[in-house]
Amino acid sequence: MCDRHRRIQIRLHLIWRIFTVLFFFATPSLGQPVPSDSARTVQMNPMVVTATRSEKTLEDVSVPINIVTADVIEREGALRLGDVLANQTGLALFDDHGSGLQIQGFASDYTLILLNGEPIIGRTAGTLDVNRITVRGLSRLEIVRGPSSSLYGSEALAGVVNMIIAPPLEGIKGSASFRLGSYQTSDMTFEMEGGLKNAGVRLVVNRYGSNGYDLTPETYGPTTPSFADWTGDLRGRIALSDRILFRLGARGTVENQESVFASLNTEDRYNDEGRRLEWSLHPEFEIRLSDRFRLNTTFYGTSYQTQTYHRHQEKGFTNYEDRFDQTYTKAEVQLDMLWGGENVTNVGVGGVGERIGGSRYGAIGPNPESTLTYFFAQHEWLASSLIHFNASLRFDNHSDYTARLTPKFSVLLRPVSRLRLRASIGSGFKAPAFRQLYLSFTNPAGGYSVFGSVPMNEGIRRLEAEGQIKQTLFDVSRLESLSAESSVAFNLGGFVEPFSWLALQANVFHNNVQDLIETQPVAQKTNGSFVYGYFNLDRIYTRGIELEARIKPQLEPSKLLDITLGYQFLQARDRKIVAALKGGTLYGRRSSGQDYQLDLGDYTGMFGRSPHSASVRAAYIHTGLDLTLSVQGRWRSRYGYRDIDGNQLANRTDEFVPSYAVLGAAVTKTFSVIQGFDAVVQIGLDNAFDHTYPTLVPSLPGRRGYVSLQLDL
Amino acid sequence: MNQFLSTKKVPALLLKTSFSAVICMIIFAACDSTSTEPEPIPLETQTASDVPADPVSGRDQTTGRAISNNLFTLFDLDENKIILSSSVTDPTQRRSDSTATVWDIGFRGTTIIFNGGESGPGEAQAQILTQPFHEVTEAPGDGYIADGKNTTCPPIQTPAGPVPGSTLAICTGSGNGWYNYDSDLISPIPGRTIVMKTATGDYASLRILSYYQGNPNPPDSNAPSRYYTFEYILQADGSKDLRNTTDGS
Repeated sequence: MCDRHRRIQIRLHLIWRIFTVLFFFATPSLGQPVPSDSARTVQMNPMVVTATRSEKTLEDVSVPINIVTADVIEREGALRLGDVLANQTGLALFDDHGSGLQIQGFASDYTLILLNGEPIIGRTAGTLDVNRITVRGLSRLEIVRGPSSSLYGSEALAGVVNMIIAPPLEGIKGSASFRLGSYQTSDMTFEMEGGLKNAGVRLVVNRYGSNGYDLTPETYGPTTPSFADWTGDLRGRIALSDRILFRLGARGTVENQESVFASLNTEDRYNDEGRRLEWSLHPEFEIRLSDRFRLNTTFYGTSYQTQTYHRHQEKGFTNYEDRFDQTYTKAEVQLDMLWGGENVTNVGVGGVGERIGGSRYGAIGPNPESTLTYFFAQHEWLASSLIHFNASLRFDNHSDYTARLTPKFSVLLRPVSRLRLRASIGSGFKAPAFRQLYLSFTNPAGGYSVFGSVPMNEGIRRLEAEGQIKQTLFDVSRLESLSAESSVAFNLGGFVEPFSWLALQANVFHNNVQDLIETQPVAQKTNGSFVYGYFNLDRIYTRGIELEARIKPQLEPSKLLDITLGYQFLQARDRKIVAALKGGTLYGRRSSGQDYQLDLGDYTGMFGRSPHSASVRAAYIHTGLDLTLSVQGRWRSRYGYRDIDGNQLANRTDEFVPSYAVLGAAVTKTFSVIQGFDAVVQIGLDNAFDHTYPTLVPSLPGRRGYVSLQLDL
Repeated sequence: MNQFLSTKKVPALLLKTSFSAVICMIIFAACDSTSTEPEPIPLETQTASDVPADPVSGRDQTTGRAISNNLFTLFDLDENKIILSSSVTDPTQRRSDSTATVWDIGFRGTTIIFNGGESGPGEAQAQILTQPFHEVTEAPGDGYIADGKNTTCPPIQTPAGPVPGSTLAICTGSGNGWYNYDSDLISPIPGRTIVMKTATGDYASLRILSYYQGNPNPPDSNAPSRYYTFEYILQADGSKDLRNTTDGS
């Protein structure tokens, strides 16, 4: 066995050892960390933390969860979070102000993305761009599907993605990697790690840049701008005593991007400059009160800032300027308790302060600020080796929207050793977005105004005083505060391992969502346009089936195949449209002008959702030659993206993005340079079929090749 | 009551006509369907293109706000022509034209008015049917509403309770009347037909094809907006018969 492979094994082993130390109340029924002799067992039964906010082996989790380890990320040649997520079963990316993650048919707004359990902030129109996050330096990704709001609160409605960076290990380790690819895309990563028994530190520095690409040469300006993105990540641990462990995480990202464009009507040319600055600080104390009690005290502060300028190329004036600034601070205490080996209780209490500023918020008056206090509790009852119960509950009390209580209940059945059945019912919620709460905006071109629920009263009064209101449609002072959008979700699934080389998983889900927030007019202005506000109005449901097969035969002692096939069937539907289709009042208009009646079968679902999608991740691992071949890709059926014949659903061919497949491959070979030094060479190809949709899927560049070299110390 | 009787009568008559026509066709390969009673000549579908509806003439230099006259274009269905354009601002001319019964239908932005009720001195009334345009072969006997008399427009649902909608015959607002507004595009709702009485009491059916100049296909929100292209069928003899040349297409 080669050095690299052994080192991964040792590393995994060490991770488990650390977990064993931390996870002091591991019991046989909770699943012991696995001895590391068999690589298969380690990978099939790893520890996860996201589903229950405490360490558990994957097979003891009663909700749908997937895990992607660092070696899989490396062998697939993934650089950004989107590269990894796009090929996972049941996940999809959708471009809308960045590439957002879709889970179980929900838009990016409804998914929480965490780094070591704490939220990544910074969304544009609800989308958290998963391509702005590097996966270099991550230990693993955990993906929980279905709501986890009963533990994490807002946004964990569709699911949770947790990026885990393990604490620094003992010993000294370092690596440097360089990658060059098409469109002058480059990635450089330096990683240094050093640790003793009681303390350790790791630093990762990553630079990712590209010259951008232009899929529409006939228009002035690129499809994707050129940019350079620097990320630094520092992790440390110190054992302050036998019982107290201190951990620190610090991370910062700066991105500068440059682009050009021409105005649509005048052909005037502008430079488009953008800058993004993000940082986070995450100190944490873990205190072993006794063998059965553990206390976690977490502080977390993060900030996200963007600036955009459009400057006229000849005249030099700034035509457009937009700034956005968000800070989030949190303090939380979580107590984990073990009762007699069969009952585990976790309780937590915390507070969050948020502040936003920028061109569209607080331009008049103070910056919007909000506070949230919350409490959560979870109890697990390991009734027997056959059945586990888990119940959790969270209470959120926010300054600007209605307080809410979010429960969840799940059960895990294990009738025989290779079969597990999971069922859960739970609620999820998503807080009103900033714009829905705080926006105070008048469109200079259209003359209309939009107010969030907080400044609504004040805004209407101001317009009235200025004589701009012709009539208010109702008494806005009687408006109640907005409620969070909420769901009730069912997940029912199973896992079966008929042979040692085959594992099959299935999950059926149904999410019933209400109180979706939409705009409605509240007053008419003297100029004829309206003042709009936000209200809880719409109802949707998403339902479907997720299937996954993992085929992992050991061909020979040194040859291994690892293939994961995924499929998702999805129906994401607006109840208003379903009712209209059932009532026979919805028609389509062909481009010939002919109108025809539509029925439920014509409804492919909400925009951006493919009814069918599939993914493949396959690797051939030859440990004797230190060679890995990886092929990964995804296919999605056509999805609607707009309505042009006035029925608010996609029915005409020109309302769909056609089905497409994206396939990539990478070959990785490790050379042992001298004792203790390895060189890893990787050659890869992304989007082999060269599918592009410049305006609809701008994040999908054409075929790209790359070469990378990594030196391991 | 009279109206009610007449609605009952006409379908019965129609049924008889078509039934006998079918029988006739089955028995005799090429029989003359006019043998039972005179068959009315199917009506022609007329089209009006790029009728301006208060288009935006520019932007305010300081506020950037759209500038328009905020006036209606008034249209005569009988002559298929504009009586008074929204570009005409002379108050005297506007007063004299808008108070006549020559015009039947008016357009300003997405708002449509009819020459009757609060909008004009005529008899015009209208309603929207959930039925494709060419399948409307007979005007309903009732259901017409004059502008200002409509109490059926969907109220705006708010946490403070429902708020009454517009009172125009064709409700205003996306999804309430003739159009949907989504992703910057105003698109006529398919399968909706405006059936109306003209200013002089004749029946007509009408559907909007486009809100954009040149009736671009596929619809294009970048084209200049507030230009209606619509088609209509006008029955000038006072009856409700709207059978047209494109029936059954």
